[in-house]
This record gives sequence, structure tokens and C-alpha cells, in this order.
Amino acid sequence: MAEQNMTDTGEKFFSEILSPSELFAARSRSHKIPVRGQKDFFPNDSEEQRQRLEQSLEEHWSLISEERVERLGNLVQATWIPNEQTVELQSPAGKFWQTMGFSANGKQHLLPEEALYLMECGNVQVFHRGLPLSIQDGYERFLSSSTVTLQQYQVFAHLKRLGYVVHRFDPSSEPSSYARQLNLPPSRDRGGKQLKRKRSASPAPTTTSRLTSQTETQEDSTADRMEEDKSRHEENEDKKCRKSDMMTSPATPETQTAAQSPAEKDKGGRTWWMMDAREDQSDHQPASGSSRWHFGSISFPDLGSSERRPSRLAPPDPSLLPGSLAVGVCDVAPWRGRINLRKVKEQRREERRSHRWNINNDREVRRCRNWAEYRELQARRQEKRKGGPAHLWNREVTPLHNPREQIPTADLLEKIRVTESTSLVEGASRLKGSDKWRICFNVYQPDTVADFKKSNPGKPHSRMCVCSFNDPVPDLRAIKLLAFSSGDIQVVCAVVDHGDISFYTFKDFQIPTDVFP
Amino acid sequence: MDEPPCKQDLSSSHVVGLSLCNSAPLLWRSEDLRSLRSQGLVGALLGSLPRTPRQNVRLGRPLLLLPEEERLLSERHAAAALPPADQDAEGAELVQEAEQQRSYEEQSVLALEDRKSALLQAMTSSHTSESGSVDEAQRQRLDALDQSFTFPRSALAVQLSTARAGLTHCPESRAFLQADWPIRAQAGPHCQARYQVFRDLRGRGFYLTSAGKFGGDFLVYPGDPLRFHAHFIAVCLSADEPVCLLDLLSVARLGSNVKKTVLLCSPAGGGVLYTSLQWSGMI
Repeated sequence: MAEQNMTDTGEKFFSEILSPSELFAARSRSHKIPVRGQKDFFPNDSEEQRQRLEQSLEEHWSLISEERVERLGNLVQATWIPNEQTVELQSPAGKFWQTMGFSANGKQHLLPEEALYLMECGNVQVFHRGLPLSIQDGYERFLSSSTVTLQQYQVFAHLKRLGYVVHRFDPSSEPSSYARQLNLPPSRDRGGKQLKRKRSASPAPTTTSRLTSQTETQEDSTADRMEEDKSRHEENEDKKCRKSDMMTSPATPETQTAAQSPAEKDKGGRTWWMMDAREDQSDHQPASGSSRWHFGSISFPDLGSSERRPSRLAPPDPSLLPGSLAVGVCDVAPWRGRINLRKVKEQRREERRSHRWNINNDREVRRCRNWAEYRELQARRQEKRKGGPAHLWNREVTPLHNPREQIPTADLLEKIRVTESTSLVEGASRLKGSDKWRICFNVYQPDTVADFKKSNPGKPHSRMCVCSFNDPVPDLRAIKLLAFSSGDIQVVCAVVDHGDISFYTFKDFQIPTDVFP
Repeated sequence: MDEPPCKQDLSSSHVVGLSLCNSAPLLWRSEDLRSLRSQGLVGALLGSLPRTPRQNVRLGRPLLLLPEEERLLSERHAAAALPPADQDAEGAELVQEAEQQRSYEEQSVLALEDRKSALLQAMTSSHTSESGSVDEAQRQRLDALDQSFTFPRSALAVQLSTARAGLTHCPESRAFLQADWPIRAQAGPHCQARYQVFRDLRGRGFYLTSAGKFGGDFLVYPGDPLRFHAHFIAVCLSADEPVCLLDLLSVARLGSNVKKTVLLCSPAGGGVLYTSLQWSGMI
């Protein structure tokens, strides 16, 4: 009996499993960490130091060995699914759902690193094959090179503990800078709805014949509108005394539009979306919501060329205009009077010169007795004009700049510059990706948590790339790749060193030119 | 009662249980961490602290070992692999459910007792006089409590274990823990130099931790890092390795900025040669 007692206590000595009474008593645990005092400089064998050391150590062990105890009602139950490498929630998610997790197949899921972090915080209890997983199980099962490595998880947890929102980086879902410039709606693959495009007269993309018939109706309605607008336009045009033009029959606009080339006719009455639809029929329509503009088929009215002189422009399709703005027929005659003026001026000036100035009136030219002397005269004149010696200026290689010409200092410095300054992302699109230097996470600021939407997170504050102190410093090629794949958001290298994490970033820098023009 | 046998030879022959995660050696059990510290090895904590998980000042288990620490443990035969997760734990689910039921019953009893004593205290503090009627009233209310009290399942306190359950047997039974931890080969002469320096300094009683942030190999503490500041930044070089002067300058400059002496360490002969860098003016 005694022996059994001994082995029992022997086994329980290193047990970390709490008894029910200990679990119950854990409710009244303190939630504060003792503050660490000042450190000593040098160890002497004093009793005081030894005591303080013991006290620090005891504090340390009591904190380290404390086990997590939570009320069952506060824990979200979940299961680990190894095939998909995700954690599926069995009970509804808590407050963390605002920034973490995703929905799939009607159920709520967490990524493995998110689940592990929530396990460490004591919010989620993950089961596998009916048994709850310990933190050790979580580390060993959830972290791998196919999900998130231990070093990456260290960075993830570090940032999450500080309050940042951290998501995995997906290079394919980042819009290119051009797409962002055009403010195109992002394509969403994860069961998202297609954005509804604003169309007033949007046809269903069916056969071409239906489209042409609709075009005709479109044109008819346009004509109707033109009649209405014409009366409005008349009032405006009173000032310009173009009544005579306006008095032409309403049939004119129609004939005008009919008289335009067939290509223009297509565009004048129809909307771009219709063209788009037809094109998309012939091509394979992409699943995403991006529209393709076929610039070859969109025509701009030609007012300047002399072949065709339409005096009227048909109003654009109302579906292209914002709101209920209605635009009437545009009379282009007064506008045309204002273009192509420059050319006329030039011509006049040249005419003047050629009319007034006869080269034979030049006395020096008359003094020349033969062509050789005339050529010498020309050379001298050129020299004077340029202000430099002929042997410098009359060869293939001339001086960079004539000192008698005016030039701003900045331009002059530009002329003598030998090296070209370049930006970090120049040439980066030609580089092939590398396995080693990859962006792992998007990091969003903590103060955006209140309005954070997982479906539309917005621009991240920075992107993380995880490496260790044993790795080499990223070379220019790696930095270019990272900057290029990140777009205009700074890339931060999180360097992990056995529990310590340091953050470094390389920033593009322009050497300022200290020039006052 | 006799003392449990394990405690006696704790510090001398305690075998520490390691488990690999992404090829990094981690310690999970609190007793293993204690024993490691008593051997003068510090390691680095990686996980969240259970009491306050949302801060980075103090971290909790697991503990990550330096490669030199791991190798030292292997050479001393003081480390063993923790057994992996039990794949076919038949009936474990039923056992766990039964245990949770038992815990629930015990906790309900404790909760009821707790409530009763709280009620009693409230009543005795308010009614100081009239002992007779107070006893009657008290008994009535306690009886009512007995009948109406329910301990909801959601209030059950549950433990989220840090280390894997079932590994908490006395580590002295080496038959339980699997084979000794193998020495994992570290490539490169630099690693060899690092290990020799580590072993030498540890032998002299210094505590060593990683010093990547300071541009060196190790931070050298005269005593436990909990109580003392580091004195040296150790940079390990092989004896015949040429060193660029600019590197020396940069590391010396760094050391003087953080008020630590830079120690250039090179294994030579049987021991290690130490050179300290000190910034001084022209003499």
C-alpha cells in the first residue's frame, strides 16, 4: 500500500494536470504580472543577492508553470481538419471573428496560425478525433512548411499580441498599380457577388441581331431626345445667332447620324457596354467583373480634319452621363473656328519674312565675288551666332552647351549627369520570383480594428517578410522582387533570433539636388 | 511519508524531454525548464504567457534551445525525445469524457459549498444579535439553496494543457522516455567554433544567450540573466579566419554604444583564446 502511494505521488509529482478543486480555485487567480526590479551589476556572494535571485526565479517559475483554465462557456469549440489544414468551428465564433477566420461551405473556419494563437489566448478549444489538443499538439500539428513555419508563427503571434491585424499575403489577389489607378472593381473569387454596373439601357448579351434592333430603338429614342434638347439648346444658341442652323428640320440630326460612317454610327447611339457585351460574346467572357474597353472601336468625334465637316454633334448616350444630366445637340461651328489657329499664324510670319527680305539686299553678300566667299561669309555668320570657335562647333562631337544660351541650372546639371537615377522597382518585373524571399503577411493598423471588414480590408500598413539572423542580408535582387510584388506598400523584414524579433525595412531614397533655378 | 525518489536526484541526473517542431528543439514541461536552468542553460521562451497572453514583455512556454545548448545536453546524455502523439488512442475519448463528468460533479459540490459559505458570511455579518432566530432563518435559506442550486455546464472550469497530456510521468524512468537525444550535425567551421566557445564559457560559470541583435554570437552574463546585465558580446571566429578591419570597427562601435565589451573568441589548442576590444584614445 505504501509503495503504491509512493509511485502515485511520484507520478503526480511532475503532473501538470490540475485536479477539479484546483480548477475551481483558479477562478480567483490574480491577473497581474509582478514587476521586475532593477538588475545588479556584478555578482558577489552576498546573501541579499542570492535571496533576490531566488525570489525572481520563484516568481518566474510560478508564472511559467501556470496552466490555462477557462470556463467551458467562454471557449469556442472547434475541430482540426488535417486534409484541408484548417480548423472548423463547432460553436459560434466570438469577438475575434471580426478580424480572423473565413467562411467556407457554410461553416466558420480558422487558419492554423490563427487557431493556435487563439488557443494560446484561451479563447478556442480545438479537438482532434474527439480529444482536446494541447498547445504542444497545436505547435506540432499546425506549424509546417506547407502552412506557416515556426519562425513565421513567432512573428505572427508577436504582432497579434500587440494588437495588429495580420492576414496571409496572397500575391495573386493584389491589384496591379494600373488597375488601382483606374479604380477598377477588384475581382472576387471567394463566392462574392459580381458588382452591378450602372447601366440605364443594358441589353442582355444575346444574338447580334437583337442588338442591332435595339440599336435602332436606341437611335430613335436618341432622336426624340434630340428634339427635346434642341428646343432647350435653341435658347442657349440665341446669343450665338445661329438660328439659321437650328431651323433645319428635325430630320437633319437623324440624317446626320445616318450620314456618318457606319463605324461612327455604331458608337454614336450605342453605349460602350453594348460593344463590350458583343465582344465578350465572341471572346470568352471572364468570370471576374472587369470590363474590357476596346479602344479601337470607340470613336472620338473628328472635328479638325477637313474631309468631313459635321456641324452638329449628336448627344452622348444618357447611360454614359452621370445622374439625370441631359445634354443636347452640340453645334460645333463656333468651336471649329477656334482650332488650327496656330498654323495660320506661322504661315503668315514666314510669308512676311520671305516677302520682305531679299538676300541680295545684304551688302556683305553683294561683296562676295564667288561661291567660296559666300560660304565663308555664311560660316563666319554662323560662328557669330553660335558664339564659339568653328573647330569646336562644326564637328560631330560638339560641346554640350553653348554658354551664351540661357539654361536653368537644373537642366544644365541634367546635361552633365553621367549616371541615371533609378527607382527601386525599375526592372523588377523582369526578375523571376525566388522561393526564399517571399512576403508572408499583410499587417493592418490596430486602430482600424473597429471598422475592419474582412471582405474589404483596404490597404495594409505594411507587409512582412520573415527571415533569421543566420540568413544572408537580402541582396538588391531580393529587395527589388519584394518591393515589386508589394506594390506601393513598404515591406518590413522581420528578423527572428531565438525569441527576439527585430524589424528592418529598406526604403527608396532620392538624393536631393540642391539647385535653385 | 517518504520523499518521492525522483526529487532526490533531480538536479544531477534529470533527463530533459525535448520535442522537435519544424526542426527546432522545444521544451514543454515546467520541470524540464527548471532543471535546465539549474544546469546553467537559459534558452528562449516563445509562447504566450497564460496569465496575460496579449503582451510581449514576458512570454511563456515553449522554450527554444540554442543549437549549442542542445548539443551540450546531448553530450551530457541529459536530453531525450518526448514520445510523439498517441495515434491510436482507443477509448481515450471515453476516458476523457468520464474525467470531465467527474470534474463537473466535484466542481458542483465545491460551488455549492462556496455559495453557502458566502451566504453564511453575509447573514452573520448583518445579523449580529438574536442568535436563535438567526439560526432558524439561516437553516431555512441554506436548505432552499441546496434544493435550488444548479451548477451550469458552461461554468465548468476546464484546463487547456500546455504540454501534451500523459507525458507527466517521472522522467527518471528512462524506459518511458525514448532513446537519448542524438547530436544533430551542424555544418561549417563557424558552428564548431561557436560550440567550443559556448562550452568553455559555460564551464567558467557564465550564462549565455543569443546576441543577433547586438551583431555578435552570444551575450555573456556573469550570473543568471534574471538578475544581472550582460557584460560581453562574444564574437566567435576560427583562429585562421581573416577578419576585415571594418567589421571589427563596426562591432566595436556597436559594443561601446550598448556599454558592453566585445570579446573576440577563437578556439586554439585545447582551450579558447579571448581578446577584448576597448575603445581608447591615443596614448
